[in-house]
Order: sequence, then C-alpha cells, then structure tokens
Amino acid sequence: MNEYSLLIILLLISTLWFYFGNKTALSLKKKQLKLNSLPHYYGIYVALYSFIPALFSYLLILVFDGILFSNLIIEFVPKEILNSPDFNKIIVLAQIDNAVRGIYFGEQPDWVTIASNQMIEWNYHSLILNFFCSISLALGIGYLGFKNINEEFRSRNSVEKIIISLLGLSSIIAILTTIGIVFSVIFESLRFFAIIPASEFLFGLIWNPQFEGAERAGSGQEGLATYGSVPLFVGTFLISLIALCVSVPIGLFSAVYLSEYANKKERSIFKPLLEILAGIPTVVYGFFAALTVAPLMRNGGSLIGLDVASESALAAGFVMGIMIIPFISSLSDDVINAVPQSLRDAGYGLGSTKNEVITNVIIPAALPGIIASIILAVSRAIGETMIVVMAAGLAANLSFNPLDAVTTVTAQIVTILVGDQEFESAKTLSAFALALTLIVITLILNFYALHVVKKYREQYE
Amino acid sequence: MVINSNINNVKTKTIGEIFSKDPKIICRHVDVFYGDKQAIKDVSIDISSREIISFIGPSGCGKSTFLRCLNRMNDTIDTCKVKGTILLDKDDIYDEKIDVVPLRAKIGMVFQKPNPFPKSIYENVAYGPRIHGLSSSKEELDFIVENSLKDSGLWQEVKDRLNSPGTGLSGGQQQRLCIARAIAVSPEIILMDEPCSALDPIATAKIEELINQLGKNYSIVIVTHSMQQAARISQRTAYFHLGELIEVGETKKIFTRPKDKQTEAYISGRIG
Repeated sequence: MNEYSLLIILLLISTLWFYFGNKTALSLKKKQLKLNSLPHYYGIYVALYSFIPALFSYLLILVFDGILFSNLIIEFVPKEILNSPDFNKIIVLAQIDNAVRGIYFGEQPDWVTIASNQMIEWNYHSLILNFFCSISLALGIGYLGFKNINEEFRSRNSVEKIIISLLGLSSIIAILTTIGIVFSVIFESLRFFAIIPASEFLFGLIWNPQFEGAERAGSGQEGLATYGSVPLFVGTFLISLIALCVSVPIGLFSAVYLSEYANKKERSIFKPLLEILAGIPTVVYGFFAALTVAPLMRNGGSLIGLDVASESALAAGFVMGIMIIPFISSLSDDVINAVPQSLRDAGYGLGSTKNEVITNVIIPAALPGIIASIILAVSRAIGETMIVVMAAGLAANLSFNPLDAVTTVTAQIVTILVGDQEFESAKTLSAFALALTLIVITLILNFYALHVVKKYREQYE
Repeated sequence: MVINSNINNVKTKTIGEIFSKDPKIICRHVDVFYGDKQAIKDVSIDISSREIISFIGPSGCGKSTFLRCLNRMNDTIDTCKVKGTILLDKDDIYDEKIDVVPLRAKIGMVFQKPNPFPKSIYENVAYGPRIHGLSSSKEELDFIVENSLKDSGLWQEVKDRLNSPGTGLSGGQQQRLCIARAIAVSPEIILMDEPCSALDPIATAKIEELINQLGKNYSIVIVTHSMQQAARISQRTAYFHLGELIEVGETKKIFTRPKDKQTEAYISGRIG
C-alpha cells in the first residue's frame, strides 16, 4: 500500500461513478424521459465530480505532510548537533530520509534510527489519513453529483464548465511559472544593484568580475572588480548578427526552393534532413565550431594575411547561423505554403515567370510570417550559450571586429554560476542582473518586431 | 500550315456550329487527363475574334478545366496532361517552342474568387505592365493604370485612393480590379472562370455590363453557372457534360431551340 495505489483506487472509484451515472441516465432514457444531454455526459460529470476534489486533497496531503514532518523531526536531533557550528538542516534531513528508505552509510547513530522510525510511523499515519480523506471525498462528493442526475439536469453544460476550468488552470500554471522566474531574477538583481550602481553596470565598458564585490565594498578600495556589461552585450549582438547574416539568406532561399521548386520526392528527402539540423544538440555544434570551423578560419585568415583569433566571433556566429537555419527555413516554408493558390494563379495568369511570382507575390504576402520566423531565430541566437562558450571564448573584449575573440551575456552567466559559489557576492549576483537585462532587451526586440509586422499587415491586408 | 488544310474537316460528336469564319483560337481533339482520369474528351471548337462565348454545364463537367487549357494554366498542376491541338492565331500553344509567359500576357484570366494581390490598388494594376516592360516611364505607367481602371469602370470609385490596399475594396470592386489588372497588359483574349459567382446581384450586374463593353475589343470566354448570365451576355454558348462538348451554337438558339436532349434537359433545369 502506498501513494500510487491510492491514486489507482481513486481512478477506479471515478470509473465506477462513470458507470453508475451512465447507467442511471440510460435507465431514465428507457422510461421515455427526454434527457437534456447524451447519457455518457452524466457519467463523465459524476466521474469528474468525484475525482477532482479527491485528487486535490490527495496532492495537498502529499505536499504538506512532507513539510510538516521535516519541521517536527528536528526535535529528535540531539542538542549538541543542533548547536554545533557546522549544523546543516538539509544534510540532517537527508540523513533521516535515507534511513527511512533503508539506505545506510556506515555506522548509524542512535538518534537517526529513532528519528527514522518516528518518520516511518508518521508517514504511515499520513497515508492512512490520505486514504481516508481522498476515498471518502471521492465517494461522498461523487454521490452528491450522482444525486444531481435527473432528466432536466444539464450535464453537458456542467462537463463543459469543468473542462474549461481545467484548461484555464493549465494556462495559469504556465503564466505563473513565467512570472515566478521574472520575479526571482528581479529580486536577485536588486540585491546586485545594491552593491554595484546600475549606471556602472549598464554603461561600464570593462567586464572583469574576478574580485569579490563585497571585499571591495568593505575595504573602500576602488576598481578591482568591474561590472560594465557593455562588452558582453556588444559581443552578443555581434555574434547574433553574424548568425543572422548566415541563416536568413540560406534559410529563406531553401524555404523558397522547398515550397516552390522542389518536387514531392525532393521535398520528402530535403525537409526532414534540414530539420535534423534542429535536432543536433548545441554542444555538438559547439565542438564543431571550436575544433573544425575556428581553426579553419584562422588558417584561412593567415593565408590571406588576416589575423584571426583562434576563438573568434566569426566562427561562433557562423556555426550558430547554421544551427538556426531550420527555424527560418521550416517556418518560412510553412507560411509560403499557406499563401493562397489564388494569388499564385493571379500571378501566373498575368504571364509572370515563377521567379517573378515568388519575389513579387509570394514573398510579400508571406512576409509577416517570415519576419516572425526571423524573430524566433534571433531569440534563439541571443539565448544560445554552448557554441559561444566553446568557440568564441570568454574574453570580454569590447570589439566590433568579427575576427576578435568576444564573449556573450549567456556565456558569462554560465561561467559565473558554474562550480561552487557563494550567493552573497556581487560576482554571483551579477549573473541575475545580466539575465534581467537580457530578458528586457529580448522583450523590447520582440515587441518592436511584432509592431513592424502589424504595421506591415495594416498596410497590405 | 499542314493542319490548316484539314482544320475544318473534323469528325466530332458535338452538335451545332463549332467553326467560325474568323477564328482566334482553334481547338481540335483536345483531351485532358488528371493522372488516369480523363477530364476532357475530344473537344473541338473555334473561338472567334471579338466574340463573347460562354461555357455552361453542370459542376465537374470540365468547363473550367477546358478554359484553363487555353492559357496553359493547367501547367501548374503536375498531374495534368493535355493532348490534341490548340492554335492561337495559327500557332500551336502547346508547341515546345512556345514560351508560356508572352502567351499568358496575350490571354488574360479572371478567376472565380476575386484575388487582388495584397498590394495597393495602383500596384495591382501596374503589376502586369511592370513585369512585361510595357511602359518606359512613370507617366506612361500612370496612363496605363488610369486607362485600365477606366475601362473596368473602377476609376471614379478609386481615383482618390490608388495607394490604399486592393484587398480593402468590396467583392465586386475587387473583381473589377482583377479585370483592370488583366486588361492592363493589353491581352487579346480574356478568360473568365465564373467571375460573378462570389458576388451579389448588383456587383454582378456591373461586371456583366463591363463584359459587354469589353466584348467590343477582346475575345471573351466565360465559364458560368448562371444560364441567365450566359443568355444575357454571350453571343455563343457551349454546353459541356461529363467532359464532352455536347452542343455549341448561337446563344439564342441554344436557349430557345436546343437540338440535343441533354442540353435541353440542363437548360430547362432537369439536370445540373
């Protein structure tokens, strides 16, 4: 007997309620009564009515008993451990939890055995409570729903309402998660801006977070660590720009070829192959960039007398461009296919060549969708980390030269947060400030691009 | 030409007068296949200069398919194959040497649903002259656009808003815009595929009046579901049934004294 079997029992109960609801409705129908809805809606209604409250109580007890017990179990930890300087609540709880699951590392102290036995007992009680609450809810509320069944009851509308609220709940979960992420980033950033002035962060030209900000704030010493984010953003946009220069023409042209010129057989081969590009993990692109493309570019550069850094923005941007080709080509292909045949007919009917129809009719008509695909590609490029970390390096040079080594915002966030970090230092907190700025900039870009698309639409449709 | 000598010596099941004294288009033994399915069976007909001829018949009888053969619009459908001879001014339009681009400029087309480009009214009409290089200056292009819009009876309604989108016009106006767009490249023949089926009666009346006007300068082939429309605007009428051309003749005769039983049945509303 455990939590999972309880869930199965609840499902069984609601299935039974479905059966009874359905049967009652059918029997009403047999008595020549005119039912408001089809019989199975009555079954679904009773089943949902019994299952949803029971599920809520089940989840509620499951979540809260853990929190309650971990607070209570602390009582069983001996005083000397509680008061010792290296007491860590999380580690102690994990120790007890392991004992509960029967996992031991070496000799078990007595108090752990006692605590774990206590925990097992509590868990048992909680499970009993959960069984009792959930099953009685499933039966009780299910019965209330069952009582509702008569020929005038509008079960179809009620089921509709329950489904609508489930759908709404799902979208609210997605929205709440987004809001949660944004707020956690905002709060950590505020702590960062309490140490480092926002103006220095936003307009400073040197990024050099090696030294602890706290040390600097405490000692009054100036200028050891600097948090000027401009080089990072310049690097991000330089690399994204190179990526777009590669991916937009190639992606768009291949979309045009696929949708307008390729016959069915070519299309069925090329399109999946192109989409495989989207399935390659970015880390593979990363070492492709670092081990193949970057040396190739350095050697090629030295042949014609150019000094290309071994980790260059060009190599990273180029490979990133290859990576986002499928985004542009696949989406653009879809929107080009969605251009109505009647417009093509109109073009051909006037004696246009295929090329004229594509450039003068199809591309302008599909432009809003094409721009949308490019926006998506831009956000991918700006957020891309792995390729940059591996191929463009971590040197925060303020440079517009694509042959130099540069770094990006996301690559810096990774280097800052990798490994053991203390969460109080300005260095760690700067990652959140970078993330916040990146979110704001991408948002502005998206809004602006959508605005452009909208303006274009108003002009033409 | 070799074909010329025996061009009027045709064995055909079609009843009525398929020949014309002044033919613009000559079709002989035209078969059309979609894959294995034969959509048009052995159709032979002449289309005269400056005449309005309407194709009538029940849905799926092949009248639109046949219409689209005349400017090779069926080329855009992969599975479609055309056999037989179609001569435009005595040139075989399905000859390998024929370029489809000038052919379609010579034979304009208006479609069932108004399909203006998502561009301004001016750009819609200027599209054809631009791609065919019919004007050498902005003034000339303006002149062509103005004349085409005047010929399609739209000028008075849109002259103050040439730069607003063509898709913003009403359905009837859009269809007249499409006609203006077609005549802007000065075609010799205009094919119309049920041009009024998506329009209300008032817009339809305007288009019909326009077709009557245009008939003085162009050959017009119009596919229509409305027998009243065929009777009102066309000089000749051709009745299609299941891919065959059943009967051709003067519109008056077809509608008052049809010789074929099927034609009579369709016209009196018994099949269709």
